[in-house]
Amino acid sequence: MNTTAQTLTSANRVAGTSARTVLFLLRARAFLVLALLLILFSILAPEFLTANNLSILSKHVAITALLAVGMTFVVLTGGIDLSVGSIAGLSGMVAGYLLTQGLSFGGTVHYPPVALVVLLTLCVCLFVGALNGWLVAKASVAPFIATLGTLYIARGAALLISNGRTFPDLGGRVARGNTGFLAVGQGFLLHVPAPAWIMLAFFVIAWVVAAKTPFGRHVYAIGGSERAARLAGIRVPRVKLITYLFSSFCAAFVGLIIAAQLEAAHPATGESFELNAIAAVVLGGTSLMGGRGSVTGSLIGAFVIGVLADGMVMLGVSEFWQMVIKGVVIVLAVAVDQLQTRLQARLLPYLAKANPEVAN
Amino acid sequence: MPRRVIALFVMTATIVCAVVGCHRADHRKKLIAIIVPSQDNPYFKAEADAASARAQQLGYRVRVDAHGDDAYVQDNLIDAAIASNAAALILDNAGADSSIAAVRRATRAGIAVFLIDRAINDDGIAKAQIISDNGQGARLVAAEFARALHETGDYAELLGRESDTNAQIRTEGFHAVLDKDPGLKMVAAQSANWSQSEAFEKTEIILQAHPNIAGIIAGNDTMALGAVAAVKSSGLKHIVITGFDGSPDAIEAIRKDDLQATALQPAVLISRLAVDEANTFLTTGSTGKPERQIIPCDLVTAANAADYSNFEKVR
Repeated sequence: MNTTAQTLTSANRVAGTSARTVLFLLRARAFLVLALLLILFSILAPEFLTANNLSILSKHVAITALLAVGMTFVVLTGGIDLSVGSIAGLSGMVAGYLLTQGLSFGGTVHYPPVALVVLLTLCVCLFVGALNGWLVAKASVAPFIATLGTLYIARGAALLISNGRTFPDLGGRVARGNTGFLAVGQGFLLHVPAPAWIMLAFFVIAWVVAAKTPFGRHVYAIGGSERAARLAGIRVPRVKLITYLFSSFCAAFVGLIIAAQLEAAHPATGESFELNAIAAVVLGGTSLMGGRGSVTGSLIGAFVIGVLADGMVMLGVSEFWQMVIKGVVIVLAVAVDQLQTRLQARLLPYLAKANPEVAN
Repeated sequence: MPRRVIALFVMTATIVCAVVGCHRADHRKKLIAIIVPSQDNPYFKAEADAASARAQQLGYRVRVDAHGDDAYVQDNLIDAAIASNAAALILDNAGADSSIAAVRRATRAGIAVFLIDRAINDDGIAKAQIISDNGQGARLVAAEFARALHETGDYAELLGRESDTNAQIRTEGFHAVLDKDPGLKMVAAQSANWSQSEAFEKTEIILQAHPNIAGIIAGNDTMALGAVAAVKSSGLKHIVITGFDGSPDAIEAIRKDDLQATALQPAVLISRLAVDEANTFLTTGSTGKPERQIIPCDLVTAANAADYSNFEKVR
């Protein structure tokens, strides 16, 4: 009897080890895919792994990563934010308006300095984020519908600001004292582009908040079970509101970066960005049901999307195939995500010690 | 566990290396990047194909991308061209203002930029800006439109996207001719955003409001074909419709007498010119031509429809 029990235990241990390996591979899948893509493109395109291209790549990834990091918190609570692309568009237009048209009171036109332009732009975008948060948290509108509505509202507002036209020449004038805006998108620090630094800063803050603060725990708790979270005394509406505010804040920065890169603000900027952000979040292993996922995952997901897009362009893959491949990657990611959830449940008995971090 | 991960990693990497090792593109040839608005629109497709064919003929490596009229996507594609050390860029840009920064960045990175079809609002950055004469084309079409209407009657205008410079230039060209004719009266003017389905809906509404309209002048062929479909479904006859662009569908409609006329933009000619000038520039250091080059449009009617195919004069 004793020996049988021992054999069982050792069998369990073997099963537990392989179960853990399988789960580890599944959890690290985004990272594995990223590594694979980097190797693949480095071999196929000699220019891919050059300092110049990596700098360019970091700039492109920054856009999706910023949106994805902001979106992660929303998705972790079980929500979704479809309005980020429109908010990015609105952000650029507000900044463009303030830089080129100025503010007129008392019959004279005042051109606010760049810092104030950025601040005012962020305020306008946070207002849209607050609207999202209020609709979802207080008015109990389904997040999909609430943010679909603000998607149209923000896009319409962006178009209304200029009547559909582009604000050119955002460099500012010395005489108006509003030069320097372009640094947001075109600046460099230690040979790394400014957008990449902004992305890094947002990522570090978001990571600390998600992993180390009570607020982060509350976000996960709400996604796990909103009712349980409420009964545990978490102020659910307030937490949700903050997640939507943060998402719109990230989107606002994306709009500013793009406007500074293009030196022009176009009202259609950011169309379908929300889809890239959601794809990055899902690729990173965050469940759309909420409660499971991580900011790091979303960052890696954004890298996968960015590397895939840039690499395929460098290889000269046809535009149509690019779409197909991107779609396949996203669908596979969600399929594997489902597989992970099911496997986790089935392998749970084999995991010798209950691992508190199973929830990723 | 980590060892297994590493083993798997190495294994996949080896397979990938083996599979793709032989696929290395020929990197000794110079690269010409071609960026157009879309590859599913016949006009831009013809433009891209012509440029691509001529560049390959001249011994260049070619890459074709589409920016979908999104200045940010265009920006990324131009970055990719810079990273790939492209020698020249043939660009149908995503906005006269919002493309300036990207074109400047490419020029600074040592890429010779040749703009086709649409200009940018700045000079001295691109090596050449070769565009078709939208104003002259619009006046040609408008004159034919007035002639077909015997200079009398009510007409409607379908305009392109209002933010697009070409939409403005075309409508100005139309009115430079039509407004001089006291017999012609515009009873409706609507934007259909270059779109066929939108033109169909707008025309249906216009026909409801003004059933005795004699003509519809459209800012491009897709909108004109939308108007043709709407007129057909309403059962009205003898409405003169004109387009602009010279798309194969429009020329087919002219042959069938559904459409009166169109102005053909010499897209293929412009693409070839741009690649030839890029080649001259890369070999001699100068295009030998002024930066802004304007190529006239051709009027296509039932009389000469057989001479044109896929945005070029074949006969």
